[in-house]
Amino acid sequence: MQILKVENISKIYGGKKSTNKYVALKNISFEVDKGEFVGVMGASGSGKTTLLNILGSIDKPTTGRYIMDGKDIATLNKDELAKHRINNIGFIFQDYNLLDTMTLKENIILPLALKGHKVNIIEEKLFKITKDLGITKILDKYPYEVSGGEQQRAAACRALITSPRIILADEPTGNLDSKSGKDLLELLTFINKEYKATILMVTHDVFAASYCQRIMFIRDGEIYNQLYAGDNKKQFFDSIIDVMSVLGGEGR
Amino acid sequence: MKLTTLAIRNIKRNFQKYIMHFFSLSFSVFTAYSFLALMQNEYVITAFTYSTRYRAMLKGFGIIIMVFVIFFLISSNKSFIRARKKEISTYALFGMTNRNIGKLLFLETMIVGFAALIIGIGLGIFFSKLVAMILLDISLASFTGDIAFTIDPKAIYLTIIIFISIFGVMGLSGLQVINKFQLVDLFKADKVSEGKSGGSKISLIISLMLIGTGYYLASLDDPLTVVGVSIPVLILVILGTYLFFWGGLPEVLSFIKRNKSSYYRGINLISTSAFSHRMRSIGSTMATIAILSAVATTAIATGFTLYKNIEKNTYDIIGYDMYFYGGQEKILDDIYRAFEKHHTKIIEEYTTQRYITSPQMEKIVVDDSRYIYDETDYFRVYSQSVYNKLVSLSKSDLKPVHINSNEAMYVSPYIFEELDEAVVGQLLTFSDQTIKITSTLRSGIVSFGALRTLVLNDNDFERLLQSGDILGVNKNGIPYDKVTIFNYENPLKSRALDNELTRILSGNVGSYRTAYNHYNESLETFGLICFIGFFMSMVFILMTASLLYFKQVMAAEEERHHYRMLRKIGMDSQVEKRVIVKRLLPVFLIPLLIGITHSIFAMKAADTIVFSNMIPLENSYIIVLAFSAVMYSAYALVYGIFYFITKGQYSRIVK
Ligand SMILES: Nc1ncnc2c1ncn2[C@@H]1O[C@H](COP(=O)(O)OP(=O)(O)O)[C@@H](O)[C@H]1O
Ligand SMILES: [Mg+2]
Repeated sequence: MQILKVENISKIYGGKKSTNKYVALKNISFEVDKGEFVGVMGASGSGKTTLLNILGSIDKPTTGRYIMDGKDIATLNKDELAKHRINNIGFIFQDYNLLDTMTLKENIILPLALKGHKVNIIEEKLFKITKDLGITKILDKYPYEVSGGEQQRAAACRALITSPRIILADEPTGNLDSKSGKDLLELLTFINKEYKATILMVTHDVFAASYCQRIMFIRDGEIYNQLYAGDNKKQFFDSIIDVMSVLGGEGR
Repeated sequence: MKLTTLAIRNIKRNFQKYIMHFFSLSFSVFTAYSFLALMQNEYVITAFTYSTRYRAMLKGFGIIIMVFVIFFLISSNKSFIRARKKEISTYALFGMTNRNIGKLLFLETMIVGFAALIIGIGLGIFFSKLVAMILLDISLASFTGDIAFTIDPKAIYLTIIIFISIFGVMGLSGLQVINKFQLVDLFKADKVSEGKSGGSKISLIISLMLIGTGYYLASLDDPLTVVGVSIPVLILVILGTYLFFWGGLPEVLSFIKRNKSSYYRGINLISTSAFSHRMRSIGSTMATIAILSAVATTAIATGFTLYKNIEKNTYDIIGYDMYFYGGQEKILDDIYRAFEKHHTKIIEEYTTQRYITSPQMEKIVVDDSRYIYDETDYFRVYSQSVYNKLVSLSKSDLKPVHINSNEAMYVSPYIFEELDEAVVGQLLTFSDQTIKITSTLRSGIVSFGALRTLVLNDNDFERLLQSGDILGVNKNGIPYDKVTIFNYENPLKSRALDNELTRILSGNVGSYRTAYNHYNESLETFGLICFIGFFMSMVFILMTASLLYFKQVMAAEEERHHYRMLRKIGMDSQVEKRVIVKRLLPVFLIPLLIGITHSIFAMKAADTIVFSNMIPLENSYIIVLAFSAVMYSAYALVYGIFYFITKGQYSRIVK
């Protein structure tokens, strides 16, 4: 089942009158099905974050449409967009983006609290998700009191707790050491399998990308290539390295 | 001169932040100049400073203001520097020494300070005439004149000297803040610095107990005790307030957090956690502001109540625009001529005979001292109808009375509860009649010099006069002086008439009083107190409110990324608005409410000590509160305005 359909999206920074226009995305089109774990790869500056922000409706495309749940998201007004985000999208950011005024627990329940759910429902969901993701013990700590990996796991809980249609992750392993990074990737895979969550992950790390089922490569704002994971993980990994070496992204 | 260029560029770039800093600096300069110019103003000097008492009062007030200005400037300077922590750490990262950073900030302070000096003194000069006229107008009833516009070089010179030294201190305290910064702070941003504010039940309970005890002591009934405990009360309440903000309020917040069904609403979750996160850095400021608000509201409410009651108090004591006894034959014609000369219409005139009586009665002893009666004592005595006539002519609130036969009312300026109990029921034995005192009244109006007065039923009075118990003549058979009262137009404003009346009366009558005299003496003292109260309150209100503004705007810079993140996860603009309201309102509301509550109890003490004597009503405290409420509302209004300015600015920054 199709969850997201992107049609001819372009993004030009620098306004109409501005002399130094910059085309960040050019005529991008693709689809994402329910339950997919899609990777977006590309060199630094290729437009990955721009794409993700547009999909997350934080940013607007200059032209083109993208359709989610049968609705053209670009036509929504500001408050409808906010509602759309809280209902349909879960974000995981490179720098976690947890509020340091709140405990991990408060951070995690924030989207549900904003949606106005009842306490018992909130606690029930919180309990299940934090147990699955293994952070029940540190829930009452503040973000600056725990490690980066734990913060990112809390961020994942926050993204997941509303059962969003799609989880958008922008270089989630970017700030983590390799062990925590691996843990998080396994967690995402687990979420993808167990929760049937659809995930779109931006990364320029080949190892991270190898966890995906499908990878879209972006170069200079255009889709350059796509790769599907086969049964052989090693082979998938090698082919990613090949594409990346052409694109000029650094592999780890 | 690279530092200077950098300094100027920084000011330009940080203009938004600097504008408020600039405002507070200019306002401080304005305050100082206005005050100094006031002290030099020749009208003010002739009106007040001839008296050492007034001069001391003005000086003391000046010192309080200056201390406060210094506190305010240093603390706003520190939070200003802290808000620029990142920028400063960046300089350090690029290898600038602390000395040079200090120099840079000092230069910036001096440039902005110099501009503030010019603006502040300019405003001061512009408004100096107004300030002096306000002081003279509220302190001198007869002040109608225009005063000359003056520029005071001495005040300018003093202001400049004072502020250059203050800027020096600010620079040094800034350097101290910089030295405390660690380079790592740059990378950790503000995460660790604030942390959880540790509340505890114990500190909440202790703080409430301290404040409660203070309140209890302040509302005791005995004036002398209240005066005696005033210092302990101050200490209790101040300690309690700080403890409340340091440990009590965080506990209240964590209590709120434990109520999940309300805390887990998005808005409450965001605003409460953000507010409690700020608690530690803003707690002391809020406590200080609560206490300053209490001082300011109390000062202004006291001044206002005193001021508003001067006229009433005058008539409660004097009763009429003028009265005198004795010498009528000699001077009445002169008096009529004086009124004619000053084109003043006489509204009421009444003359009556005065009588005394000395019945037999028990000695009444209260608190080991004799209060009522001795063989040598006498009562002034009125018949009910003469008393009612006098009362109806008076400008006080006294009501006419009805006295049954064989009963009497006892009137004295000095009556308190125990005496009242002791006097009521006493029997007065006359030659062939006994009369019982059935009521008392605290008033000095109808006594005209006597300490104790009786009011009798008309028939009783007539009978006792016949029987010789009531006498209109003294031992030598000479009649007692008659008393004459006058009410006339414009009694409190016409200085020339009063001077002439005083000249006619003094030395020629038994005794006399005029409302004008009493009113103007009170006005001079209370008007000055009132002016000081207003001036101080204005300074306190504006400075505390702008300090709060300042802190919140600085906080907004840091909280900006929270809002950006919240928007990403789907906070809509309605929710955002409400979050901002809930985040900012407590910052203004809590200190204001605590300050006003403190002040309500302070006014209770002031009522016990001062007002209950001034306002001859059962419940003078209610009146005092009513007057105070006017000033509390004004205070709240200014805070409200600042709250909205802050909200606007905060919303703009986090957008
Ligand atoms: N707000 C912006 N204004 C102008 N140019 C931008 C803006 N955001 C990103 N860009 C440019 O668009 C290009 C793509 O950026 P981005 O999507 O962040 O790349 P990536 O995430 O792939 O590293 C970059 O060259 C960047 O400089
Ligand atoms: Mg990026």
